Amino acid sequence: MIIFTYLGRNMASVNFNSISNFSFSRAYERIGRKASRFVLNCVGSREKLPTISNPKTINTIDWIGKKLSSAENRLILGASALLSQPFIDASNKDVDKETRRYSICRTIAKIIAGTVTGYSIRKLCIKSIDAFTKLPSEVKPDAKFKNLRQFLLPTIKCTADELSQYKNALGTLLALGVMVFTNFLIDAPLTKYLTNLFAGSSDPKLKKGVENAKSN
Amino acid sequence: MLNLTKIFNSFKDTVATKFGPNPAKMLIYTGVLGWFLSSAAQVLAIVVNDKIPKEQKMFLIPQEIGDGAINVLSFFLVTSSIKALASKLVSSGKLATPKIRQFLTDSGINIKTKNGWKVLKDFDFSKFNIKNMTNFDQIKPEYESFKNGVDVIGMTVGSILSCNIITPILRNKYAAGRQQKNLAEIKRLEQSKIQYPKGISIEDYKKYSAMKFSSGSLKI
Repeated sequence: MIIFTYLGRNMASVNFNSISNFSFSRAYERIGRKASRFVLNCVGSREKLPTISNPKTINTIDWIGKKLSSAENRLILGASALLSQPFIDASNKDVDKETRRYSICRTIAKIIAGTVTGYSIRKLCIKSIDAFTKLPSEVKPDAKFKNLRQFLLPTIKCTADELSQYKNALGTLLALGVMVFTNFLIDAPLTKYLTNLFAGSSDPKLKKGVENAKSN
Repeated sequence: MLNLTKIFNSFKDTVATKFGPNPAKMLIYTGVLGWFLSSAAQVLAIVVNDKIPKEQKMFLIPQEIGDGAINVLSFFLVTSSIKALASKLVSSGKLATPKIRQFLTDSGINIKTKNGWKVLKDFDFSKFNIKNMTNFDQIKPEYESFKNGVDVIGMTVGSILSCNIITPILRNKYAAGRQQKNLAEIKRLEQSKIQYPKGISIEDYKKYSAMKFSSGSLKI
């Protein structure tokens, strides 16, 4: 009994200490540091450092950093999703054929609906923010809502690139607010409509019925 | 009383300082929020869709919930990790443009050779950061423009990998498991509702028959 009590106390103290010393964020940081060291060692050699010398490539990288907003990012994600996700669903052997068919149809419908609305709303919101984030020199004397044109300008000093990114960020935040509603009002019904459309057209029985109706 | 103008200005300035110089960071944060809201809407779309059979719904609803949860997690883990690694490649001076290389050569970090540039054997890339250099301002515009581009590319590659490859594979595994479990549960519930024929043991039969008023020695 005494031995068990002693062991129990010690085990409890060991557990308590290990729990108090263990931190997920620290572990994550440590893994991150090791991973970054590994990647830094893997990319290029120390004797010949990787250098991007082509002016066109450098300009493209600069352009991506300056101009690629969340709208274009959503478009890239949507296009690449169409190229990968339906095939992943099609190769899912864990479910029956019918479920797989529905799953593929819904995935395609979801990607199309999500990308079209996501891109359009983000683009519109960024444009709207831009209209009210004008520098004093950009406001024309005969512009409509002249007093509101600088309403969204930050009070701190920014470079032209930073201001452009600020507009993108504010536009994206506005878009997320708008999408709380459009997700339910546009995305969801459009996904439902497209799923039924694709599921109907890919159903052999339904297709046969439509063909019979046409021939009659 | 709350000063709304002050709060609004502070909000605008926070957005400008946090995301203005770092577009990739903004894309990650808004991406996470966007996926969360999108998944909530998609779950609702399946729930209210009468044309999807019950068996398919049992697969699609957990698929969507799993999709949302995995999307958010993979965004934080995969996307931000790849973005951080891409960022580290530039900030450590491992990946650079000729102008940045020339700056590092002038500062004694890189050595120009016939084939390009190299570093000394004991140089530790993981501890070095161009931004911490005293003469950083000389290269700041060129460096930041290049780094932002690489960051956004890293973030985009990370999000394609996490959302379009890792998530669909993981969510399919998760949802298939859930569907099997739910189908087994439905089967069990249906069986429990069956009245006849109902198998009973001899002991149960004896008790059951003994309780009936017509059982036992019948009086004719």
